[in-house]
Amino acid sequence: MDSEGLELKVVDLKKWFPVRKGFVSSLLSRKTEYVKAVDGVSFEVEKGEIFGLAGESGCGKTTTGKTILRLLEPTGGEVYFQGQDILDLGKSEMKRMRQKMQIIYQDPYESINPRMTVSDIISEPINIHNLADTPSEKEEMIHKVLRDVELAPPEEFIQRFPHELSGGQRQRVAVARTLIMQPSFVVADEPISMLDVSIRAGILKVMLRSREVRGITYIFITHDLAYARHICHRGAIMYLGKIVEMAPMDVLVKNPLHPYTVALMTAVPVPDPRLEHARAIIGGEVPTPINPPSGCRFHPRCPKATDICSREEPEIVEIENGHYVACHKVI
Amino acid sequence: MATCKMPLLDVRGLKMYYSTLKGDVKAVDGVRLQMEKGGSLGLAGESGCGKTTLALSIMRLLPWNGRIVDGSILFDGVDISEMDEKIFTRDYRWKRMSYVFQGAMNALNPVFRVGDQIAEAILIHESVKKKEAMDRARELFGLVGIDPDRTASYPHELSGGMKQRVMIAMALACNPDFIIADEPTTALDVIVQAQTLQVINDLRKKLGLTMMLITHDLSVVAETCTTCAIMYAGKIVEYADIETIFTNPAHPYTKALISAFPSIKEERRELESISGAPPNLLNPPTGCRFNPRCPYRMDVCTREEPEYVDLGGGHFAACHLLD
Repeated sequence: MDSEGLELKVVDLKKWFPVRKGFVSSLLSRKTEYVKAVDGVSFEVEKGEIFGLAGESGCGKTTTGKTILRLLEPTGGEVYFQGQDILDLGKSEMKRMRQKMQIIYQDPYESINPRMTVSDIISEPINIHNLADTPSEKEEMIHKVLRDVELAPPEEFIQRFPHELSGGQRQRVAVARTLIMQPSFVVADEPISMLDVSIRAGILKVMLRSREVRGITYIFITHDLAYARHICHRGAIMYLGKIVEMAPMDVLVKNPLHPYTVALMTAVPVPDPRLEHARAIIGGEVPTPINPPSGCRFHPRCPKATDICSREEPEIVEIENGHYVACHKVI
Repeated sequence: MATCKMPLLDVRGLKMYYSTLKGDVKAVDGVRLQMEKGGSLGLAGESGCGKTTLALSIMRLLPWNGRIVDGSILFDGVDISEMDEKIFTRDYRWKRMSYVFQGAMNALNPVFRVGDQIAEAILIHESVKKKEAMDRARELFGLVGIDPDRTASYPHELSGGMKQRVMIAMALACNPDFIIADEPTTALDVIVQAQTLQVINDLRKKLGLTMMLITHDLSVVAETCTTCAIMYAGKIVEYADIETIFTNPAHPYTKALISAFPSIKEERRELESISGAPPNLLNPPTGCRFNPRCPYRMDVCTREEPEYVDLGGGHFAACHLLD
């Protein structure tokens, strides 16, 4: 990959959260424990690409997304946005940068202020970043973005409060609030998981069109691999704060190599009763990230694990063009 | 609809309304449904279509403002909708029919050990000693694949998947023959979901249970059930065996729902959404309730409510296109 077409480069990103201790235990030991939510994650996203970040709850996918945007300050690592190291930026520079780097949150019932009208919600970023010179320009911008997210006619929605909107319409307002800033990069954190199946595709279509028209690059965070399969160009599977496999989406679905990815793929239910697929369901659940297992973090649940897996942590290696796997048994 | 000779469950034209200050919410509005003994039915539809209300009416667990307006529910030939509450509690609820509640995370009492909570259900319904009830709780834990010693745990000491298994064990406490599972896997991660569905499937076969699975996830229905009923705005719009529903759906809503649903096994494609939103059940649309969102709407659809059409082989759909 040449760095020209790179929108985002993440190198060895870490985010550790200290575990709060009780008074007595803090007297007894000095060692602070950490939840290693993100523990050495590296990947690159090309311009205009939709990069999927998938995994079970608690694997660190949302923390990764927030740390990239510096909504959480990383513990270590580097983040380059359009070639620039954003961890070096000061507060005001970062604020300017944020205009280009945006996020769409999961829950439209929580992410938009219930006391503000649609017009207030969407004008807030315009005011903060001084995007409009005159009130009429601002109004025009709001109307245009509402039409873009298919809340038409805009006049009908502009004075409404969130409680007067359906879940799908709320999420469209949240998307509009993001798009109004003309970002070039958006982290979409489970943008459809709270919505009904019948309206999910509508929200995705708005996002996909914004990519086509404005060339927006997306990181699509999801636990639903079936959606990732239809939306993303490339994808990474995370487990306990690490990327275990990364490949073009087609390869990830059809030829998964890491035992965890294989387990995930076979566990996804298929809406087709004619497909009788063999199920090898692995046992157990994701362990706590406070003291993750030694060596390969997946080894206690892995059907292929041997001695080396509990001793040494596997490096992530490129197996074939663009297909990266971190597993002793694959290499 | 769906003619069984000796149905275990027979819902006859059930209408269940919630009274609110703004008027009656017609959550279940004329549902006919039969289930054969040993069958597994998937009840699928969007949120707010009345799935849970239908299930709660069967269990007679409706909130105070909910009431049955019309119709009846027969269980094993006996009308349970009019039955005296005492008799229903003593002989039916939990003894013959039980319920796996939605959201296992919050359905357990946090201040009691999970084993005690299961034993409590047994002690209420059967005249056994506490010791026997605890033994039975341990046995049930084994059945759903949890270490029997975990009966001494509190809910917060268990993971989400384990709590869901405890809920299943609790539903099985009094050896029911009919079980309703309401979104049993919705809050679970994909691998744990697969584990839980496997437990449910195995138990159903092993214990010969009749099961109604309520879900918004068609892929879960496809993997677990033998028949499927699609519900929309308080009515069942289509009913068929699982293969027919997916390969030869007749109702436009079923078709739209299936094409909105992504499969990991198919090639990358553009997903279709259904325009509009489900109607407000205070004032549902006249005629066919799907008509405002239906791409094939005709004049008659806004005027007349469609009747069920028998498409053969136990396949029923309510749509004017089929007249």
